[in-house]
Amino acid sequence: MEPLLRSVRGRRLLPLGPALLVLAAALVGRDLTGLPALILALAAAAGVFWAVSWVAEQAARSRLEECRLEEELLQSQKMAAIGQLSSGIAHEINTPLAVIGQEAELGLMELDLPDLKAQAGLDAARDNLRQIALQVERCREITHKLLSLSRKMEAIVQDTDVNALTEDMVLLVEKEARLKDIELRRNYAESLPPVATDPALLRQVILNLLNNANQAVERQGHVVISTDMPARDRVRISVEDSGPGISPENMAKLFTPFFTTKPPGQGTGLGLSMCMTIMQRLGGAIQAASPPGRGARFEILLPLRPNGRGD
Amino acid sequence: MENVRVLVVDDEKDFVDLFVNRFNKRNVQASGAGSGPDALKFLQEQPVDVVVLDLKMPGMDGIEVLKEIKKRHPLVEVIMLTGHGSVEAGLQGMGHGAYDFIMKPFNIEDLLVRIHKARERKVLNEGRQG
Repeated sequence: MEPLLRSVRGRRLLPLGPALLVLAAALVGRDLTGLPALILALAAAAGVFWAVSWVAEQAARSRLEECRLEEELLQSQKMAAIGQLSSGIAHEINTPLAVIGQEAELGLMELDLPDLKAQAGLDAARDNLRQIALQVERCREITHKLLSLSRKMEAIVQDTDVNALTEDMVLLVEKEARLKDIELRRNYAESLPPVATDPALLRQVILNLLNNANQAVERQGHVVISTDMPARDRVRISVEDSGPGISPENMAKLFTPFFTTKPPGQGTGLGLSMCMTIMQRLGGAIQAASPPGRGARFEILLPLRPNGRGD
Repeated sequence: MENVRVLVVDDEKDFVDLFVNRFNKRNVQASGAGSGPDALKFLQEQPVDVVVLDLKMPGMDGIEVLKEIKKRHPLVEVIMLTGHGSVEAGLQGMGHGAYDFIMKPFNIEDLLVRIHKARERKVLNEGRQG
C-alpha cells in the first residue's frame, strides 16, 4: 500500500476511492438495512468529506504556490532595481572620491616639502589629511561592494567538495567563536558528491553566514553547520544559531541592501544582499527562517550541476 | 601539464626560501617576494599563475597588495595566507577576489591541491576570455 500511495500514479488514483465508495453506497444501499446500511452511509459520508477536503487543499496549495511565485518575482525585480540604482550611484561617486583621495595625498606631500616641513603647527593639518584619506578608503570599500552587487560576473565552475569548503570557513571563524564561548557544531552529510559550482563565490556566502551567526549569538551559545541533500540533484548547507532570532518585520527586509541590525560601523548591510546575488548567479537559492523562541536558520541550496549545462 | 608558476609573498625570508625550495621539487615553478611592492614588480616582469600572499606584512599589507594585483592582473589567482581567526580579513579578501585561503601552519600537500585548483580556474577563465 505504501509504495503505491507514495508514487505519483498512486496519488492520482487516490481520489477515485471516495467516488467508488459513494457509487457503491448508491448501488447496494437500497438492499441493505440496519447496521450494514449505517456503516455504508457513514463510510460514504467520510468519503465525500475526504474528497471535498482534498480538493480544497489542492486549491489552497496552488493559491499559496501562486502567491509564493509572485512574491519571489517581486523580490527579484526589487533586487535588480536596487542593484542597478546602487551601482549607478557607486559609479558616479567613485570619480569624486578618487579626486578627494588624490588631493589629500598631494596635500600631504606638499606639507612635506622642505620649506613647510620645518614650520611648526602643521601636524594637525597632516592629521586632517590622513583622516580624509582614511575615510575615502572606507567609502571605496562600500562602493566596491555596491558595484559587486550588480556586476554581471559569470561564475567559474569547478568540481567542489562542499564539505571541505564549508569546513575551511568554519575553521576560519572557530577561534573568534571560541573566544566568545560559542560552540560550532558540525553536522556534515557523509559522502556528498562533488558539486559543480564557483568555489570562490560559495566561500564568500558561507563565510558571511558564519560571521553573521557568530555576531547574532554574541556570547555563549552555539552555531550548527550542516550539509545534506534534500533532493537527488541538490546540496543544502545550513547555518543555525542560538541567537535571538529575526523578528517577522525584519525578515521581510533581510536581503535588502543596506538593511542591518548591527551597531553602526559593524556592518554595511550589504552582506546578505551580496549572498543573495551570488546564490542567484550560482543557480541556487538562499532562505532564512526564524521559528519563534529559537535562533535564526539560513539555508543555501545549490544545484549539483548549474542549469543548462547538463553533466 | 605545464608547470604551475607560483609567486610566494611573505615578509619572512626563511619561510619564502623554504617554500620555494620545496615547491621547485614538485613541478611547481616557484619564486619568492619579500613585500607587496616587490611582488607587484615581479608580476609586471614575469608571468605568474598563482600568488600565495601573506595577509600580515609591514608596509603595504596583504589586502592592499591583493587589490593591486587584481586591478593590474585580473586573471592571476591569489591564495591568502592567514593566521587563525582573521575573519574580517578573510571577508575582505574574498570580497576583493581572493580565490582561496589557507591558515598557517599548513600542510604542503594541502596547499599544493589548492594551488592546482586555483590554476585550473585561471585556465578556465582564460579560455572564456580568449
